[in-house]
Order: sequence, then structure tokens, then C-alpha cells
Amino acid sequence: MSVPLAWRLLAHDKRRTALAVTGIFLAIALVFLELGLFFAVPRGGLLLFDHMRFDLMLTSSQYQYQSDAGAFPAGRLAEVQKLPQVAQVIPLTFAAAKWQGGEHGEWIDLFVIGFSAAASPFTVGDINRQLGTLRRPDTILVDDATRPMFGPLTPGRVVAIDGRPETIGGTYRLGTGFMGLGVALFDMGNFARLFPLRGARLVNLAAIVLKPGVDADAAARALRRSLPDDVRVWTRPQLNAHEVSYWTTRSAVGVIFGSGLVIAIVVGIMIVYQTLATQISRHLPQFATMKAVGYGERSLYRTVAAMAAMIMALGFVPAFLAALWLYAVIRQATMLPAAMTGARVAAVVLASFAIAMISAALSMTGLRRADPADVFDGRP
Amino acid sequence: MKTALMTALSPPSLRPRLAGAGRVPLARRNLWANKARLLRSLAGIGFAVLLMLMQLGFERAFFQSSLQVIELLDGDLFIQNAHKYRFVTRQPFPPADLDRARRVQGVASVRPFYADWYSSFWRNPYDGKVFMVRAFAFDPDQPVFLLPAVNAHLAALKAPDAVLVDRRARPFLGMGGTATAAAFNGRPVHIVGRFALGPDFQNDGTVIMSARSFANLLPPGAARGVEAGIIKLKPGADPGVVAAALKRVLPSDIAVFTKAQLYAFERDFEARVSSAGVIFAMGTIVGFVVGALIAYQIVYTDLTDQLPQYATLKAIGYGPSYIVGVVLRQAGLLALGGWVPAFFVSLLLYRWIGNLALIPLGTSLYIVGVSFALTLFMCLLSAALAMIRVVAADPAEVF
Repeated sequence: MSVPLAWRLLAHDKRRTALAVTGIFLAIALVFLELGLFFAVPRGGLLLFDHMRFDLMLTSSQYQYQSDAGAFPAGRLAEVQKLPQVAQVIPLTFAAAKWQGGEHGEWIDLFVIGFSAAASPFTVGDINRQLGTLRRPDTILVDDATRPMFGPLTPGRVVAIDGRPETIGGTYRLGTGFMGLGVALFDMGNFARLFPLRGARLVNLAAIVLKPGVDADAAARALRRSLPDDVRVWTRPQLNAHEVSYWTTRSAVGVIFGSGLVIAIVVGIMIVYQTLATQISRHLPQFATMKAVGYGERSLYRTVAAMAAMIMALGFVPAFLAALWLYAVIRQATMLPAAMTGARVAAVVLASFAIAMISAALSMTGLRRADPADVFDGRP
Repeated sequence: MKTALMTALSPPSLRPRLAGAGRVPLARRNLWANKARLLRSLAGIGFAVLLMLMQLGFERAFFQSSLQVIELLDGDLFIQNAHKYRFVTRQPFPPADLDRARRVQGVASVRPFYADWYSSFWRNPYDGKVFMVRAFAFDPDQPVFLLPAVNAHLAALKAPDAVLVDRRARPFLGMGGTATAAAFNGRPVHIVGRFALGPDFQNDGTVIMSARSFANLLPPGAARGVEAGIIKLKPGADPGVVAAALKRVLPSDIAVFTKAQLYAFERDFEARVSSAGVIFAMGTIVGFVVGALIAYQIVYTDLTDQLPQYATLKAIGYGPSYIVGVVLRQAGLLALGGWVPAFFVSLLLYRWIGNLALIPLGTSLYIVGVSFALTLFMCLLSAALAMIRVVAADPAEVF
């Protein structure tokens, strides 16, 4: 009884209902937008790791976050390889270089990643298909999210990098995240030629692939026991948690989007409550009449709750679609990997309906006092 | 509501004929009549305004923080490598070019400024952890900074491996406190003083040292050359004329900027590549739309509730323009009433979040102007739309 009644109450004044639904729509879209931005930041920081195959990661003990990873002696790799649980150890080197071919002649900072084309640590198809190209002398692959100010990324273009001519062998799609304005991949041999002072003696990361069936946590413990303390061993979840906490709590970006999110949630709750409370209070005369003719408070509450839930559902669906569109805009405009996740949808659905039920309960206090004689007073 | 209207209307002999002849402050009294509703309305609008204010503040902080360094340099003109795409990146040039600049007429002094953003690693003296920082250097006999705390330690900076550190750097760097022994790029350094600058979006902390220590402490490849020449003009010299003369004398790979041009150069770069503008504009627009909707709901509800009263007004001879005026004034008052508290709350939040994130978060004339204009526009637009709606619904009754 309460559901059809709630529906007819809403259908009775469609314009008002539409207004309420728009309010809910905006509130939910706003919360989705800020959530998307807030979580896109650590995802941006995790971009490289999210596209690498590894069970454990070896870093310097000075590791701060991916772009400030510290370095450790390449000798540690052999020690890791000795462990029976380990199938493969793939070292990566990072460096900063100048791309001396900006569209207006600028020399732009480039984030350089070196790895051996014989063993790609990446899960990106574009990269793994072009390993042969990468092996050619002084040939590089460039991320296609590299900013337009770097000029055309046409294969075959020769660009001086730190004074050394390098040929663009191709592009790939991974994303630059917080690594910089542009990212290029080098085969280890080419990397060592570009940075002769540094060579291959120092490594920034090593992706460790374990043999099938090996427990990652146990292997990590074994590695930690056998390795000196200038390196650190991370399991995937540990590294993930570390990066997320860095980007959400230590960086200014995290604090800004975090506070944006808090404000959005407060505004969202306010709109939802106001909208539902207005809707419900408008129907006070009807409810009071129902009360007068013998309906119990419980059944009235069910009606009110059904109304709140329906408005919420009507607002949620378009808000979800709008959020998908907003995320696409964020990805396009900011190159941050904003993405909708099932957990996020579930969280917003649960939170929205919880707020709807609380709003319904709060507006019941008005209803409890509702007296037909009062509510009709002053209304035409 | 009715009571308010009735008092507002007495005595009836004072019947203003023209729109806007608001002898009776009907708009204000209408709002005051139901204080609980007014409070709810103002809270709704206020929060939407706060949302816009925060987004505008973040945007300003983002762009402001990259200009911080330029602000601190005591120069009329600046020279730097022409290949630079922004000021705060490493692209040194040979110090010999400074000597050429010194000979140009109108130039009082040309001082070298050294900087590094990639090869400077600071060890926290309290927990031994190492972090990437930025390093600035200058000749203590030729100071370039407008920071009194730096200029108070010029003599102490001359000692080998003496450094000044940023007390406002991110706390995990351990640059605050009283420690005097730390390490920079693995070499022991002495902290001889502290200044207050704060981090920005790229850098967590700053170390300032003498040019000699810079050459000692940075890797051989990184310490070559000068990052910028800080030029002071002789009294009365025209910056434009001197800049043109400098360009003639200096090689083509050196660029000359006035301070204003250097700001513009850096701002252009940020606007060209960073997505901050888009992100915060998106937030501001959403705040505007949310606010507009709240305002629309408020005005619409109020209008429909008061329709009989407005009809009465019409019956006793007030024209539609008078009623439109009342509604718009009411919307204007709501805008003001929502904006003022939101603005003060934003000041508190700027301070609080600014200290938490250590970014230059603060208000500006631009923020005040834009946020108020958006608030007013949002309320008036909603009021206009709500009136059109009501008229469409019930043309005979009031208008």
C-alpha cells in the first residue's frame, strides 16, 4: 500500500517531483565528480605499477614514491635471483633528461625509463609489440600522453635528448601520471649510452616475478631476511597502499581534492535532506488526513520512506550516467585515470539511501505532530 | 507570512505606483517572516557558494605557488636560457654572459642565481630518511633574495657546506626544530639558519646555500653554469630600453624578461599544460549549478506559497513590475545573505587547509569579485526562471 501511494503522491505534482529529482541528481553527480578526482590522484601515481607485471617489487630503502624512488646497487638483483621462489627479476632505471625539440624550440623535461627489451616488465600491448624497435640503437618509444608542447611524436622523428640524437620508434598508451610532462622508454643499452656517468650500476626498481604457486608474502619475508637493509621488498598490496597514502595524505594535491570531497559530501547531504524534507512537508496535509482516518505512524513512515527512496532512485540513474561522462572529461582534460569502480557505485548508492532514510525519519518528527486542524490552517 | 505582508502594507494610503519604489521593504520582510526557512535557504545557498569559493581558492593557490620563487628574487630584469619552457626548471647558461650584461648601460648589477630541482637530496636530521628537495644558491656577497631571514645569515652562509633551510617545508623533511647537523646529497652540512617559504605542488622543501657550497654539494654535471641573472637597474633607467640593449648584446640563446614578463611566462606555461584550470573550473561550475538549483527551489516554493498574497497586492493596484521587483530583490538579498557567511567560512577554511597542505591558499580581489558575481547571477537567474514557471502555471492569478 505504501509504495503505490508514494508513487501517486510523486506523480501528482510532476513538476515539483522533477525539481526534487534534479536536486538529488546534482548532489550525487557532485559527489561522484569529487570522488573521481580524489581517487584519480593516487591512481595517477600508481599508473606505472598498474601496468607492470610483478609479484614483489624491490626498491631502495630510501623509496618515497614512484617518481622519487631512490636507487640501489644493481648487485642486489643477483642476490634476489638466487632465491628458489624467484622466477624472474626485471630491473628498471629512471632518469630526467631534456627533450630538445619542443614545438617552439623549448627544451622540456622528459622522464626516462630504462629496461631491457629482452624482458619487458610491462603489460602494455603497445610496448611489448615494439620491443624489437626499442632494441635498435638510439631508438625510443614515447608515451602518447606526452604533452603537445613536445612537438609531433611521429615515428622516425629524430630528437636530441640531452644532446644525443634519438629516433622516435613509436608511441604507446600508458599515461604520464605524475612522472612529468612527457615519458620515454629506453632499452637498457641505449639508456647507458645516454647516461654514461650513471650506466647500469644503479637501479631504481626491480620487478620480481615469482614461480607459479609461490606465496608472495612468504617470499617477501624470505627476501627481506636475505637482503641487506639498503633495499626494501614490497608486495603488491603494500606498494599500492603506500602510494595511495602518499598521494592522499602527503601531497598537496591529495589534501586539496580531499577537502573538495568533504565539502561536496556535506553539500550533497544538505541538498538531499532539504529536497526530501520539502517534498515530504508539502504532503503534510495528506499525511495528517491519513493519520486522522486511522493510519498508523508506521505505515505513514513507510510511505514517506518509499517516497524518499523513489526520488533517490530517479535521481541516481542520470547522476551515474553524468558521472561517467564527467570522468571521460577528466580523463581527456587532465590525463588522470578517473574511472568508475563497482565499490564506488556501491558506496554512493548505500550512502544516498542511508541519507534518504535519515531525511525521511527526520521529517517524520514534523509528521508526528501533524494535526489536520493545524496543517490546513493558512492554506487555500 | 500574511502578517508580515499586512504590516508591510500599512498604511495602504502609501501605495507606491511604480516598480522599485520600494518604500516598504517588502522583499526583506518577506524573507524575515519565516526565520527557520530563511536560515535553511541561506545555509543551502551558502554551502553552494562555499563550494565555489574553495574551488576558486584552490585554483589561485595552484597558480600562485609556482610564482613564489620569482616573487622572492630581488630584480628588475632577469636573464635565463632561451630554451627554458618555464622558470623553475634546470637549464643553466655560461657565467660569461653575466659579464656581457654587466657592461650594458643602465645596468646597476647582475647577480648570479643557481638552482636545482632534480639532483638535490636532503636527509632528515631526525629520522635519517632521504627526500628530493629543491636547492637555491647565490654568492653571499651579492644577495638576490627578498627574504630577510636569508639576508640575515649572509656571513654564516660563507662557511663551507653551510645551508639555510625552510622552516615551513613539509614536516617529514625535518627542516624545522633546532637541529644543526644534516646531510645533503650524502655529504654533511651545517644548518646555519631557517627561513619561512613553504612547499609548492612540485617541491616539498627548499635548501639555500652559497654558490661555492652548491658547486661542492651537487653532482659535477648538475653544478655547471648559472640558472638566472638577476639584474638591478640604475635609478631612472627604463626597463624596456635596457632589456632591448641586453638582447642586442647577449647571444640568441639567452632570453631577457622583466619581472612582469617572467610572471606571465610562468603563468602561460601552467595554463598551457596543467589541468588545474579545468579541474577547478569544473568544480566551480558544479557549485554554481547546485547553487542555482537550490535558489530556484527556494524562490519557486516561496512564490507558490505566496501567490495569494501577491494576488492581493495586484488587486489593490500594484503592477506586475512591482511584484517582479520584489521577487528579484528577495533573490538579491538571498545572494548577499548566502555569500557573506560563506565568504567568512572560506577565510577560515583557506587558513586551515592552507596550513595543512602548506600551500598559499588565500582570498583575493578576483575571488571576491568572481564569487559574488556568480552568486548574484545564480540567484537572479533562478528567480527569473522560477517566475517564468509560475506565470506559465497560473497566468491569470498574479501577472
